[in-house]
Amino acid sequence: MVAAIAQRAVNRGKATILSTEIFREIREARSEGEPRVLATVARTRGSTPRKAGATMLLRPDGTFQGTIGGGCGEAEVWQDAMDTMADGMPRLTVVDLTEPVDGDDKICGGIMEVFVERVAQ
Amino acid sequence: MDVDTQIAIAEEIEAALAGGPALAVATVTGSGDPPWLEPGDKLLVRADGSRLGGLGHDAADASAVGVADEMRTAFPRIAVETLYVAADGRSTTRRHESRLGDAELMIQLWESPARLIIVGGGHVGLALATFGEQLGFAVTVIDDREDFANRERFPMAEHVLFGEIDEQLDSLVLDQTAYVILVSRGHRQDEIALRHAVVQNPGYLGMIGSQRRTATVLQHLTDEGFDPDALAAVSTPIGLDIGAETPEEIAVSILAEIVMLRRGGTGRRMSAGDR
Repeated sequence: MVAAIAQRAVNRGKATILSTEIFREIREARSEGEPRVLATVARTRGSTPRKAGATMLLRPDGTFQGTIGGGCGEAEVWQDAMDTMADGMPRLTVVDLTEPVDGDDKICGGIMEVFVERVAQ
Repeated sequence: MDVDTQIAIAEEIEAALAGGPALAVATVTGSGDPPWLEPGDKLLVRADGSRLGGLGHDAADASAVGVADEMRTAFPRIAVETLYVAADGRSTTRRHESRLGDAELMIQLWESPARLIIVGGGHVGLALATFGEQLGFAVTVIDDREDFANRERFPMAEHVLFGEIDEQLDSLVLDQTAYVILVSRGHRQDEIALRHAVVQNPGYLGMIGSQRRTATVLQHLTDEGFDPDALAAVSTPIGLDIGAETPEEIAVSILAEIVMLRRGGTGRRMSAGDR
């Protein structure tokens, strides 16, 4: 019953899809004994691509589902998430999008705090 | 934090997303300086106040529970909050009130998606269901005409309820996650629906119709002794003023109002700046 409702929820809006699918993948990874790392935007200041609560779930091969901001700061978080995948230590990554980077046309101007934790091992 | 507790918390979040009662989870994101909390530790707080897990410190747990209760009842909803806590029990959600060395908690509210309850399966009801589903709402459609309350017409809806409008509304729990839109075929049906929706105090209640027509309906209910505050909170005439003419445009106007209220927007043009 719950699974059926969750399945329907997946077909709904994006925010719901991601949360529901991410928690299902965490559960499935645990039962398979596979690691996953979850990155959650904990706090934002200024203009950021995603708001607090946005999540990204990272797999051991480096692929992920969900997004915490596309081009804007995602690479930094991805690197930290891979580190957490390796050592199991949670991290709070502060992504500063206010400084323009060479050759980059980012239009994001805020600061994002992203909490990175291993949720399956 | 042991693995079993972690798993149990994740499973409860999954159940909340799938339609169970809303719950809050606090996660230690900053240990404090000197460190007194363990990053990654979690405390789950259920709607009934019961808990699972813990942050390893009573003062931190108590602060998190207080904020979790506020988040669950706030409107518009607060989905994520940062709480700065000290070992002596002092805590604040405001960064400028926090002190160097405070530990940081991320508190998240987990609940099933907001529900759109559409009374009336006509042209506007169809556009509302279509766009509302795209916006992430769980859609329920009610109509007392079978031609307008069926699966073929509303494949995107979670529930399609055919029957007497009052009975169908009474069968639903219209809490703060319910956005009720009255767009039935006539003011008589809308009045019946309003009577049965307003007493449940949903998160949003709106009724279509001209100023004159809706004022008459509201006057009837006022005369009957319905709570004046609850009636004053009814969005009617419904929607934002975007000059909507077609059923689809009217649906956009209504949903724009709902998104604005839910997310705490102003309805002002972004280009108008802060004036």
